[in-house]
Amino acid sequence: MLPLVRPGRAAAPLRRLCRRILLLSSSPQTPSPSSSSSPYSTKISPLLLLLSPRPSPASGGAWRWRGVSSCAVRAVDVGGEAASTSSDLSSPYLSVRIRCRKEDAEVLSEGLLCFGATSVTVDDIAAAGNLDEITITSIYAHGEDVDSSVSNAASSAGLEYKPVYETSVGKQCDWVTVVQETYESTKVINGLWVIPKWRTPPDPQAINIIINPGLAFGTGEHPTTKLCLLLLRETVKGGERLLDYGTGTGVLGIAALKMGAALSTGIDIDPQAVTSACENMMLNGIDSNKMLLYLVPTNAQAACFPNIDKSEENKPTGGLELKSSKGSYDIVAANILLNPLLELVEDIIGYAKPGGIVAVSGILTEQVPKVEEAYSRYLENISVSEIDGWACLQGSRKA
Amino acid sequence: MATTLKDAVARKPVLATIRLIVPAGAARPAPPVGPALGFYRLNLMAFCKDFNARTQKYKAETPMQVTLTAYKDSTFEFVVKSPPVSWFLKKAAGIETASGRPGHNMVSSLTLRHVYEIAKLKQSDPYCKHMSIEALCKSIIGTANSMGIEIVKDL
Repeated sequence: MLPLVRPGRAAAPLRRLCRRILLLSSSPQTPSPSSSSSPYSTKISPLLLLLSPRPSPASGGAWRWRGVSSCAVRAVDVGGEAASTSSDLSSPYLSVRIRCRKEDAEVLSEGLLCFGATSVTVDDIAAAGNLDEITITSIYAHGEDVDSSVSNAASSAGLEYKPVYETSVGKQCDWVTVVQETYESTKVINGLWVIPKWRTPPDPQAINIIINPGLAFGTGEHPTTKLCLLLLRETVKGGERLLDYGTGTGVLGIAALKMGAALSTGIDIDPQAVTSACENMMLNGIDSNKMLLYLVPTNAQAACFPNIDKSEENKPTGGLELKSSKGSYDIVAANILLNPLLELVEDIIGYAKPGGIVAVSGILTEQVPKVEEAYSRYLENISVSEIDGWACLQGSRKA
Repeated sequence: MATTLKDAVARKPVLATIRLIVPAGAARPAPPVGPALGFYRLNLMAFCKDFNARTQKYKAETPMQVTLTAYKDSTFEFVVKSPPVSWFLKKAAGIETASGRPGHNMVSSLTLRHVYEIAKLKQSDPYCKHMSIEALCKSIIGTANSMGIEIVKDL
């Protein structure tokens, strides 16, 4: 039925036909996710407002960051599914491998990004050696029209040929269960380690915090986590009450308890974080009445959300308990990001008791002045510690 | 800039170059970040945290272009650049998607003034600094044409 196909260029149309049939039959038409929901305007001024004050000349506007990819991201398997909250996590994506000439790779990648690809990866050009052609791997959201995207990209890049490509459907969860073996135990300081769940602590005498990272922040090897852990090390003497604002994996709360605190409370707006923290709490053998976890709504008012603890009882008064504990914490640690820190100043400070320590991190060194300005209204004895370009600001609440 | 991306390439063996568009302040280990970085076993969480911290100064959800260089020793570097020209054009023209048949169907039109403003914004991007405003404008007009947006002198 199918005509004889000569290898080479002629194969492309046939392949395209097959792809089209495959795509049409396999996936229902899903609307492509809209990238931006901000209102459109034909005036110029909103464009100019988009970028806030230009970066300072010193920073140059572009940044580099060296990362060690020792962390594995494993799906949180408390409850079984990785795709609990966000549907993005479980929906398949399209992975398209495109072959093109070496010199066209740059322009073609630009074009692909312009026309709907969510990411474009070019395998090392130097390693291709004498080969004329290299492979570009491009990822599209499920349901996108790959064919028209590739042809639009090719024509805008000025290519006279249509690049040959093949599509495969990838499932989200695969990459999440990535190499766990490469995730190493991290030594924060002498006598304090953060150990992934599947490793044995190299120093059984030290304080070892066992973490199963999942999809929450706080695996122990990021400089900001280290900064906060060091701070806790200095300030926790025994019997304190700690609030971990933006708890992630719960690493700070667990660390404080292991160092002698009386009570840890962790709050987060991300349900996955709370689940992850719950699991880590159990891994470390923490009693449920020593560590409380709350899921708070994003407007940062702990209204009536249930208290998620080991016994998984849904206490309707959970939110009220949290509210009533305002102003009673000896230590409040908030390792989040600059913008939330600036917006939620009053909320964060509100939880600390007068004279209590408040520590904020997740900020770059260059962002410290802004944070200091916002927090100096409420804090005294402010000091800043830094590791690797990341900073942690601490102070005690004014009476 | 002390070291350019090219120098970095010369220093360590490069495994791959990954280009992504990620909304500012909203990097999560889901697509587009997840599959692209996960494939090379890169530390997703660290990238997300770092990227979010560095893009705090931009309006939330603005799509930023990111170029990551993954090295053979599982480390990586990344550079954050301004949003793609096509995004600026779409915002200025007030359209959601570009034309399906550029050259045949024109979706919208913009004036030279729009082009100039976009070029000025793009020039603040250190990777376009070396280009003159004229060259930037020409390239923006080219992109507009390939999207089906007409550029006229005056609306």
